[in-house]
Amino acid sequence: MIHQNDQITKSPDLSIKIGSLVLKNPVLLASGTCGYGTELDGLLDLDQVGGIIVKGISIRPRPGTPPPRLVETPCGLLNSIGLENVGIESFLRDKLPWLRNVKTSLIVNILGNSVEEYSEIAKKLDGAEGVKAIEVNISCPNVKAGGIAFGTDPEAAANVTRAVKKATDLPVIIKLTPNVTDITKVARKVASAGADAVSLINTLLGMAIDIKSRRPALANVFGGLSGPAIKPIALRMVWQVVRAVDIPVIGIGGISTSDDALEFLMAGAKAVEIGTATLIRPSTAEDVPADIRDYMEANSIQNLEDLRLPE
Amino acid sequence: MPKFDIPAEIVEQTQLAHGIFLLTVEAPAIQNSANPGQFCMLEVKYNNSRDPLLRRPLSIYKTQANGHISFLYKKVGKGTRLLSKRRPGEIVRVLGPLGQGFRLIHDRPCILVGGGLGIAPLLLPAERIKQSGKLVILIGAGNASEIPTIEDFSGLTRYFHVATEDGSLGQRGMVTDLLAQTLQEITGMAQIYTCGPWPMMKAVYHIARKKNIPCQVSLEATMACGIGLCLGCAVPKSDSREFLHVCKEGPVFDADQVNWEYTQ
Repeated sequence: MIHQNDQITKSPDLSIKIGSLVLKNPVLLASGTCGYGTELDGLLDLDQVGGIIVKGISIRPRPGTPPPRLVETPCGLLNSIGLENVGIESFLRDKLPWLRNVKTSLIVNILGNSVEEYSEIAKKLDGAEGVKAIEVNISCPNVKAGGIAFGTDPEAAANVTRAVKKATDLPVIIKLTPNVTDITKVARKVASAGADAVSLINTLLGMAIDIKSRRPALANVFGGLSGPAIKPIALRMVWQVVRAVDIPVIGIGGISTSDDALEFLMAGAKAVEIGTATLIRPSTAEDVPADIRDYMEANSIQNLEDLRLPE
Repeated sequence: MPKFDIPAEIVEQTQLAHGIFLLTVEAPAIQNSANPGQFCMLEVKYNNSRDPLLRRPLSIYKTQANGHISFLYKKVGKGTRLLSKRRPGEIVRVLGPLGQGFRLIHDRPCILVGGGLGIAPLLLPAERIKQSGKLVILIGAGNASEIPTIEDFSGLTRYFHVATEDGSLGQRGMVTDLLAQTLQEITGMAQIYTCGPWPMMKAVYHIARKKNIPCQVSLEATMACGIGLCLGCAVPKSDSREFLHVCKEGPVFDADQVNWEYTQ
């Protein structure tokens, strides 16, 4: 009898596995919108989040692009930060110790100007205590070298994937760009090159013009569009990639609520990342898993896989 | 430093002049830990609307012991227009107090230089400095209607001067004229605190530098998060190719950290 009661009242299981990476829930903080974690201290209980993907790290510190770096658009945000970051040495020395004390999975986003650079950073992270996985940025639209150059060429994307996989035993997530004609082509290539998972989408290349000054609104002219405006595109691409590869897919793009996250999980994403929404409401990534749990309870759904729509 | 993201009840929303508003909210936690020169991010959208997407950064103008914080702001776009339509009793989400405020120095005469609504972050430091030392307040604007709250400042010191470009209030001319005049009368060390349009702050900085007077500036930038997550509010540094971030290292900087030649 007791056993039966247990079955009935058992609360939904929100934990997931991506390769050897175990997450307590499927809601991650997206790179570039959560700093190095400390910035959110006191505003978001990181222990309640499935994982944190810290700001993209390069071999050397990068100063980023000149301002203006931001433009607000209807339901969206255009940015060109230019991958400003402290560099791998400072990350390991100054940022990682604090992050080790957080009870959530730490994933480090990396970027490089060459295959060798990606490989070198991955090696440095391989032995770093506390790092649970690597997300590889081959999709930033705001830098000329590296970034998107790797993400739009399936062959180059596969080369980066192989190099990073060779450099580390950590699970490797490849973050894909939507700025291609067929995202499944790159997804298939990186999957066969050994990626443990793919995350998508990075921002969509866009621009705005300031009609008062009659100049492009961003100093970099083009920027990456994020926020609720891009959600339908992101969802469509996640749906496509889920059906094209056998590795886990992490959905990103305009997710601000559990309703948004559920759409991605129904499309077949194993997990989701919260990006721009954290900038607006820092506690979003804490609220979303709680609300997903409520939805599952209300609908008697026990496992996240059961959310996925039939083919 | 503790930060809070709280739903705050509006207790006052007053239009003081054309397009200029004073908004007061009840946010005791923020009021209690706010320092002069800090700011808050205010949610301007209604309910679950996602447009406008971003919060708006506003300097803390005034605080009261009863937990009230006031913001002095100008209706400049969609966000502030929506904010200006909010009425007492309604709830607005406020994140704060944010950033590094003014570093107050008490051993020398302090000169506050405000341009237009750049006076907003200067009232709190003025009130603090008044308690401990010599305070000079210089305010400039295009015309009198742009600075409807100068009475909050005029009673704080007898060294209070106003300049307007059209002569509708105080001396006709620029606030930098007032600064030059003041500095002629001050012998020995002084400290300048300034906020206003970029060209004004740049001119204030040049005057200060010539006289070797330290100058703190409160900068403004387009922001998304206000807490150092997005790095969007970058301003070029004077001594390298790197950037200052207005929300986290600022909004108040030593003026010589800033590359004043940079124009957006």
